[in-house]
Amino acid sequence: MSNAIEVSGLTKSYGSHVVLKEISFQIAAGEIFALLGANGAGKTTALECIEGLKKYDSGTVTVNGTAGIQLQSSSLPAHIKPMEAVRLFAGWNKVKTDNALIHSLGLREIEKKQYAQLSTGQKRRLHLALALIGDPDIIFLDEPTAGLDVEGRLSLHDNIRKLKSSGKTVVLASHDMAEVETLCDRIAILSGGKIVFCGTPSELTCKIGKKYFIHIKTELGSDTLEADNIENTLLSLLGEMKRNGIKVLDIKVDRGTLEQHFMEMTGRAEK
Amino acid sequence: MNAFLYGVALQWRLDIRSKSLLITCYIVPLIFFLLMGGIFTYVMPEMKNTLIPSMIVMGVSMGAFVGLPPSLIETYGSDIKKVYKTNGVPLYLGLVTMSISAFIHLMIMCVIILLLAPVLFEAVLPNSFPLFFLALTVYIIVSLSIGCVLGQAVKNQAKLNMISQLVFLPSILLSGIMFPIDLLPDFFKFLGRIFPASWGYKLMADGGFQLENLWYPLLVFSAAVTVCVVLLKKRESE
Repeated sequence: MSNAIEVSGLTKSYGSHVVLKEISFQIAAGEIFALLGANGAGKTTALECIEGLKKYDSGTVTVNGTAGIQLQSSSLPAHIKPMEAVRLFAGWNKVKTDNALIHSLGLREIEKKQYAQLSTGQKRRLHLALALIGDPDIIFLDEPTAGLDVEGRLSLHDNIRKLKSSGKTVVLASHDMAEVETLCDRIAILSGGKIVFCGTPSELTCKIGKKYFIHIKTELGSDTLEADNIENTLLSLLGEMKRNGIKVLDIKVDRGTLEQHFMEMTGRAEK
Repeated sequence: MNAFLYGVALQWRLDIRSKSLLITCYIVPLIFFLLMGGIFTYVMPEMKNTLIPSMIVMGVSMGAFVGLPPSLIETYGSDIKKVYKTNGVPLYLGLVTMSISAFIHLMIMCVIILLLAPVLFEAVLPNSFPLFFLALTVYIIVSLSIGCVLGQAVKNQAKLNMISQLVFLPSILLSGIMFPIDLLPDFFKFLGRIFPASWGYKLMADGGFQLENLWYPLLVFSAAVTVCVVLLKKRESE
C-alpha cells in the first residue's frame, strides 16, 4: 500500500521552545491514523505543519493527494447559514455542491439557522462537510469530537468510517483514547515533542501488557482494583467478601483502556 | 469570478443580518440626517446649500470607520482566516469582498439622503450629478481604506471601538460639516485637514472636484493600501 503522507525529521519550535523534535512517521493511503497526545503535546502543530498551514524549521513532509481540512478551532462568520457556507466553499474549490454529502451530514435540517445559532455538533458536521467539499483524498480532522455529546460523537465516528470505506485517508488528532481505540487503524503517540509509539492499538496493548480494572460496590462502599490476572484476583476477592459476610451489590470488570497505557507511556517519556 | 461575485453578494447579505453594520451604515446616519437636517436648516437656513454633502460625509465616515472594522476583526482576528488558508483562498479576498459590500451599503445610504434631503428640508441638490457621484465614490473608497487599516491593525473589538472613535469624532467635528471651519482656531483647522473628511466635504461641494482637493485623499488611500498589504503579508506569514 502506498503512503498518503510521509513525515521525516519534522522539527518545529516557537522561540526557544521546541514543540516537535525530529518526528517521523508514514500514513498509508486509506487508513485512519491518529496523532494522540495530551493537551499541548504538539498534535495541532504537527497537523498544521503537515497541512501546510505552519512553516517548520527542518525535516520533510510529503502529502500525496488533495487534502480537506477540519481545523480544531474552525470558525465562520456568525451570520452565515450552512448552505451559504457550502456554496461559498464549493465556489472556492471550483466544484458543484454535493447533495449526497449535504444529506448524509444532515445539513438540510439546519439550513435556516445561522452559524452562531448552531450547536457544537452541528458546527462540527458543517465543518466536516466543508472539509469534504472538494472530494479530497486525505482528510485532516483536529479533535473532531471535542465538545460533542455521545450521539454526536457516534454519528461522527460513523461518518469517519464511511470515509475510510470510500477509500479516503483520514488523519485525526485526538486526546480521546476510547475514540482512537475504536476508530483508528494506527496511532502515533506524541509526548515531549517526540513520537513515543507508532503502531496499531493492539500492538500498543501488547507492548504495555494487559491490565484489568475491577469496580466493586458493596454495602460498605465502592472501590476499584487493578489486576493482571483477572481470574485469580476475582475469585479470591469474591471469596474474601463471602467469608467476611460482605454483601456485593455490583461488580464490573473492564480491560485497561488505551488511556492508562497512554498515561504510562507519556509518563515514561516525560521522565 | 462566480465564486468572487457569490462572495460579494453573500457578504452583502451578511452585513444586512449583522446588526452592527445595519446600525452604523443606515440607522444612525439616517436618524442623524433627519434630526440634524431639521435643526440645521431651521437654525441656519444657509445650511440647505451644504446639507447633502455634510450629512453624507458624516454617514460615510461612520459606516467606514465604525461599521466596517468590526467585520474585519471578526475575520482576521479569529480562526476564519485559517479557513481561508485551508481552502487556498488569498487572505485579501475577505478584505476586498467586505469593502465592496460596505461600498454598496454606503452608496445606498447616500442615495437615500440625496433623495430625501430636497423633499424634507429643501436642501440644494448638486449642480453636476456625475461629478458629485465621482467625488462621493472617491470619498467612500478613501474612508473604507482607512476602515480596512483599522480592522487589520487593531487586534480586538474593545480597542477598536476606542480607536475608531478617535478617528471618527475629529473627522466630524473638525471637517466643517457641523459648523464653518473658519470659526475654528488655527490648530484645529490644521488638525481637521489631517482627516480626509474635510477633503471629502470640499470634493463634494459644487465645483470642488479638482486636483487641489483630490491629491490628499489619494495620498491617504495609497498609504492605507500600502499598510493593508504589509499587514496582510504579515498575517500570511504567521
